[in-house]
Amino acid sequence: MNLIGLQTIIRREMERTFRVAVQTIFSPVISATLFIFVFGSIVGTRIDEIGGVSYITFVFPGILIMNVLTSAFTHSSSSVYFAKFVRSIEEMLVAPLSYFEIMLGYVISAVFRALIVGITIVLIGILFGAVVMQSFPLFFAYIIGTAVVFSLLGIITGLVAKSFEQLNILSTFIILPFSFLGGMFYTLEMLPEVAQTVTLFNPFFYFVDGIRYAMVGINDSNLLIGAALIFGLVAALGGLVWRIFYTGWRIRE
Amino acid sequence: MNNDTPALEIKELRKTYGKSVAVDDISITLPRGSFLGLLGPNGAGKTTTIGCIVGVHKINGGSIQTFGFDVEKDYRESRKTVGIAPQEFNADFFGKVGKMLDFVAGYYGIPQVQRQKRVEELLEQFNLTKHKEKGFNELSGGLKRRVILARALVHDPELLILDEPTAGVDVELRHELWGYLKKLSEEGKTILLTSHYLDEVELLANRFAFIDEGKIVADGPKEKMLAGGKKLEEVYLELTGKKNAV
Repeated sequence: MNLIGLQTIIRREMERTFRVAVQTIFSPVISATLFIFVFGSIVGTRIDEIGGVSYITFVFPGILIMNVLTSAFTHSSSSVYFAKFVRSIEEMLVAPLSYFEIMLGYVISAVFRALIVGITIVLIGILFGAVVMQSFPLFFAYIIGTAVVFSLLGIITGLVAKSFEQLNILSTFIILPFSFLGGMFYTLEMLPEVAQTVTLFNPFFYFVDGIRYAMVGINDSNLLIGAALIFGLVAALGGLVWRIFYTGWRIRE
Repeated sequence: MNNDTPALEIKELRKTYGKSVAVDDISITLPRGSFLGLLGPNGAGKTTTIGCIVGVHKINGGSIQTFGFDVEKDYRESRKTVGIAPQEFNADFFGKVGKMLDFVAGYYGIPQVQRQKRVEELLEQFNLTKHKEKGFNELSGGLKRRVILARALVHDPELLILDEPTAGVDVELRHELWGYLKKLSEEGKTILLTSHYLDEVELLANRFAFIDEGKIVADGPKEKMLAGGKKLEEVYLELTGKKNAV
């Protein structure tokens, strides 16, 4: 294993993250702060408790996980696409780095960025009194697991995309609507029966529900399904990314 | 590593893009310490061949070894032996020069202390020290070319591949570069150079290989290729069938 090489990919990626910190760190944090302010101090005070907690405490895990997964996805998708676009990816392709090391470098750095964003949002949430924690290990596991899934999805998107417009298709048409409709702002029982059934097929519902259970202690789904989904997606997407690198599709053609 | 093992051994290399054949059954053996001028018209297959050597392109047939290491099976060892300065700038436009060299050295597994020393040496050698903190996109074409060359040498490779390194650079840098390449060659490095400036290839290389439409049409040592006092340009035009076009 080329550990120095792996460490260098992570170092380079983190430097890129801080080089454009307004876009990579401040933007999601400001957006989350506005959500917390609106749902905590304006709308939230007029809404009854849900599951025995204030509305902001109920929605906070959803706000957090949405920003964590978006950060992980955006990091790896934009980084891979940009490296492909300016061909700086060739610096790694000609070096003694394995496909696995390149993939791992992107995933770890995307998880780091997601953690920086996540931790900052949690600190802001604490200031607004929105954060409770039932199980820190479970919370951490969900944050990391979700970030890994979306960093892998981001790598695939970055490799597949042929234009900046294509790069945004997944986040605009899948990530944003599916996370909003994945129980971020409501419980399953608030929905009509048909919508409840449909929601059970939305994978984002399990990410939101799992992190909410870890923080607030209430859940709508079978947590084992959520855990299996995360493990399954990590294995499937990880295998797919490795395969794409191995065949050289869109990078070594 | 046996000292008789060639620096580069390409056997029956074939590379296709869909139905289009870019490189067709190319074989080249490059002894250690030689300086090869790989010549041919645009689209002949030079850059594709180089891409296959360094790992940017997948090989469809045949094999390539650098210093006895197969570029696919023993890719880690093989890539340590090769440095590449590509024709087109393939760098993070916004990255700083010093950092770029440091990162590339890191990819090759060079520890931090050695890495810093090597980067400083190369910045000095290529007169880039005062540009160290500048972004790659802030540099002139000539300075960008220097950075790309310094990057190719960051891990001190035994085989240096230069794909049109003097394209778009001023006369001063061209001469500076020639001096540097001669020095590297004298130190025993193996060099593969492609260029459309035949005077420069004639001056520097001690072997030539001519490639046209994906095939090697002639190769050999300088004295054999230029026997009878021929100029390289004359040989080139003969071999590529363009002599009557002049």
